[in-house]
Amino acid sequence: MSNEARMFPDARIPYGTWGSSFFPAWQTSALAEVNIGQFAGEAMNRILGIRKVRKDVLDYLVIGSTIPWHWKFWTAPMVASCMGQRLPGYHMEQACATGLQAVVLAGAQVQTGDTDVVGVLTFDRTSDSPVGVFPERRSYERTQAISDVWDNFGFDPATENSMITCAGFASRKYGIERQMADEITLCRYEQYFKAKESGFLDRFCVPLELLNVQGKHLGWIDEDLGIRKVSRDSLAAMYELDTSVTAGGQTHASDGMACLLVTTADKAKELSPRPEIDIRFLGKAEVRTQPSLMPEAPGMAVGKLLDRAGLKVTDMAVIKDHNPFAVNDAIFSKVFDYDWSRMNNNGCSLVWGHPQGPTLTRLLIEGLEEAVDLGGGYVLLFGCAAGDVGIAALFEVKGGGN
Amino acid sequence: MAAFLREPTLNTLGLGSVLDIFSQGRLPVTADELVDKVFGPAGDRGSVVISGANGIVGAGKAMQLGSRLQPYGVRIVGLDFPDAPDGIGQQYQGLVGSFGKAAADRVMGNIVRLTYDGKSLPAELASFKPRFLLEAIPEIQSIKLAHYKVFREAFPGIDIKSVTSGFPSKELGVGIAHPAFPHQINKMWEVVEPETSDVTRLFWALGLIPTPVSDNWSFVLDVLFCGVTLAATRYHEATNMPVWKIDKFVRKLVGPNPLRAHDAIGAKGATFLTWSCLHHLNKTYGGLFEPTRAIEAVKEHGQNWYPLNHFRPLVNWSQTDDEEEDFKAWILGPLIQMTSLILHENRAHFSHINTIGELCAQFRKGLLATIRNLGSEEPLKLVDAYHKLHPASAGPSWHPEVFQNMDSPEWQQLYVNAEHDGNAGVITIGRESYCWEVDAELNRAIDWLKAEGIDRVIVTGDFHLATQMVGADTSDFYDALTSVEKGRAITHAWSQTGRRLNDEFKVSVGFVNGKRCLGGFLELLSHCHYLVSVDDGQLGWPEVNLPVVPGMEGCHWPLRKATQADRPRLMEMLLSGRFVKATDAVGWLVDYAGSMDDALKTAWAIATDGDHGLSKRGVEEGALTGVPTDMPGLPEAGNPGSAAARKAIVETVQKSCGVPLAEALAVQADMAADFLASKWCSKGAVGTEYSKTMKV
Repeated sequence: MSNEARMFPDARIPYGTWGSSFFPAWQTSALAEVNIGQFAGEAMNRILGIRKVRKDVLDYLVIGSTIPWHWKFWTAPMVASCMGQRLPGYHMEQACATGLQAVVLAGAQVQTGDTDVVGVLTFDRTSDSPVGVFPERRSYERTQAISDVWDNFGFDPATENSMITCAGFASRKYGIERQMADEITLCRYEQYFKAKESGFLDRFCVPLELLNVQGKHLGWIDEDLGIRKVSRDSLAAMYELDTSVTAGGQTHASDGMACLLVTTADKAKELSPRPEIDIRFLGKAEVRTQPSLMPEAPGMAVGKLLDRAGLKVTDMAVIKDHNPFAVNDAIFSKVFDYDWSRMNNNGCSLVWGHPQGPTLTRLLIEGLEEAVDLGGGYVLLFGCAAGDVGIAALFEVKGGGN
Repeated sequence: MAAFLREPTLNTLGLGSVLDIFSQGRLPVTADELVDKVFGPAGDRGSVVISGANGIVGAGKAMQLGSRLQPYGVRIVGLDFPDAPDGIGQQYQGLVGSFGKAAADRVMGNIVRLTYDGKSLPAELASFKPRFLLEAIPEIQSIKLAHYKVFREAFPGIDIKSVTSGFPSKELGVGIAHPAFPHQINKMWEVVEPETSDVTRLFWALGLIPTPVSDNWSFVLDVLFCGVTLAATRYHEATNMPVWKIDKFVRKLVGPNPLRAHDAIGAKGATFLTWSCLHHLNKTYGGLFEPTRAIEAVKEHGQNWYPLNHFRPLVNWSQTDDEEEDFKAWILGPLIQMTSLILHENRAHFSHINTIGELCAQFRKGLLATIRNLGSEEPLKLVDAYHKLHPASAGPSWHPEVFQNMDSPEWQQLYVNAEHDGNAGVITIGRESYCWEVDAELNRAIDWLKAEGIDRVIVTGDFHLATQMVGADTSDFYDALTSVEKGRAITHAWSQTGRRLNDEFKVSVGFVNGKRCLGGFLELLSHCHYLVSVDDGQLGWPEVNLPVVPGMEGCHWPLRKATQADRPRLMEMLLSGRFVKATDAVGWLVDYAGSMDDALKTAWAIATDGDHGLSKRGVEEGALTGVPTDMPGLPEAGNPGSAAARKAIVETVQKSCGVPLAEALAVQADMAADFLASKWCSKGAVGTEYSKTMKV
């Protein structure tokens, strides 16, 4: 791929300056009790401190989240203040695509030449999501009240269908059988636990201690809580919620944050503990598919992206996706005739949960770490998002290896 | 011919030595005579003018000086701009709390508040006959100079002193009297003047603590305080660690929490002062003092250093072992280097430098004591490590040679001095709480006197830096909370030091010269053959309420010196923690109590074998019988910890009194150490302070 064909040719992601919290399942940790915007800002500062990156090198901040939080009106400046740094920036959201789109927007920000080092900080707290009250005189009830996470997951206003219904529709369209979904699920859990035991997660997941208002210990965020060990038998025994969709074959809501930096080539060398590693943006694509077929949309975005780049899935060193349903991976595998066991090494959101905003950011970090282990290569990242949207992006890692 | 282990700090004020005080039977100067000298005789008294009187410094000093000078009929004139917020009025409740409403009303009634436009003085000011101007206006040199000009034109000959925290006297053309926060109650003043003035001596006579310092930028206090602030913010910028957490680590390492202090004083004003000091120091001494961007920013926007209440810190920070080592270099490195500069420029008496850090900048142990504890090599290594982290600090303002003579008396006797006239000696203790450093220095002082052939001694406060004796420094107990052995090391060693006062001198006199002598200090002085006190001295063992068990033989030694009939009084003191006035303790705890002059004369007469008319109370060396086991009528202990301490004290009294004197030290010391390591102590004041300070 020529330099001209690359998206944001001047932007780089400095290796090893990133980090993520663990993602405890909703209502299982102290994260259920905090302002997640404040947490995210303070956690990013802590992560940068551990990575030996002075926070004052940042000159811009792109934050991403999907669930309203206290003082969200103040967007990135507020979160930056919680980092201890006064930065301009903005808040963006694109449902479950947020974690990838924020990174892309940071690349664009660097490409403008206006800023040198952009922080990308994505986060969400699904626990105790706020209830929004919307006065709407035209509506039958005159006032609508919805619980932000669950009411939205259960009802797409464009189709009146839930997310699970979308998975069912897509399963039927592509003929995904229950056994295949269960096999994929089992594989994904095995990939995650293998990565966990190898210490892979410790490279980017940072244990964080939370304090209460008195400054006393409130709790540790040091594990992806809510992950059950599954077996072929236990998966087979699960109730089928819709076609090939079970509790085991879908993700769970969780809380957390993830962050990385996007900067210029020179600055990336300066900031990274391994300056020989070069990480570039190659491209991005988005599609919106037919109503209630969300799980097929990511694959469509991948096709569009690879066509444009002149690459094939087999050219990819690492493939990671946000898979709220095992069905998503099954459809991708069928469409591209790709061995699903070769993707999502080291973990995925099907297993470690879905805090929405930071999900794709953590997946990107995992993918880049894996590519570095392999000595470089293309990293393909994709996922679905509310509204039957699919998003895909391509990154290139040069250098690496152990 | 008098001899001194090292120069008495009083001498830096031209007030002679403590030995002089005892041998002459009076204090070198009195407030009465000095008020007359400074403000004129009664009936023609002049006034103190405090300009900037509604500011934090001005209002605080209006209270401190006002409460002391009101009985002498010296009026305080508070001068400020018409729109200055009322800082003096805000002090009233504090005044009532300290002195009661009637006295507070008298003090406030003695303060005259006038306004001016900054260019000309109000006409009625002359009617108050200003004799002394304490200038507390903003740290802007041109404004200060103009201010002095106006006053000098209106009142030629007026004595002017600036409270500036940074500008040398030579820059301002007036003397310096730089006070320390909190200004209502902190008695320390750094003083710069060609020779000690009557105003400075008056401060001393009024119970304040003037300390002469040289005429260099920021003197001593603000080199250290601004220095530790600078070091903390440098670490913040290098590591991202939030300042609230750095403050905790700094407090754990050396004592202060400088950023919290800035917020408490007022972030904008305090940070401006810090920046101003650093800015000028940087211009003179280079990058060691260059203000950080964080300081520059807060100076401008004035927001607190700590997060706002609704953003109380959420994510905690910790340090690895390597990070802790780096942290030491980041914080101690510059402080050691700055101290080298202070010593190189001979900015003050060693004891003053050390004490200013403790009493004004919250250092747990003064910087010189801290550096001394590190030894001669470690400070150099820390500075070297700091220079690697912050190369701009390396350069001409580093004077490692000042650490080469740590064996000298100036270094070795920061807190304790000894003086003698060839016949009798005086050991002076210039620290209000007893600690390992005081213990070691006291032993060296005893050794020196003995080597000098002195076997008559008075042990007392230093009449300067320590205005009372409040007992043990409980921060030295931290290790003992979890280690009985560490506790026993303290109780055995400190008790043995006390015994030396009884065993190794022909005559020893404990002298209480301040308003309190409590806890370990009372135990220490009780070891002397005689205990003499000023009549209003308060004596007590508050240990039971901490709770701890008195560990320097307080549970048997005083009882061995008292009659059977008087022992219940001592038991009541031990078990209730209540204080007793010295005059009420004569005969059973104190041997003499009287006015300062009488007490001085009596102590000197005892020490020099003069006519004092007192009988020495002997120490019963056998096992005591009939020691009370409880105190009927004593109110219930206020909490389970105190109840447990009462029980432990009774047991310690019984066991340590129940053996011969030769065995009693070990019994008492072991039992006190056991209690230190008990859950009660960990849950009490010492344990709470330990957790707050050290477990961060």
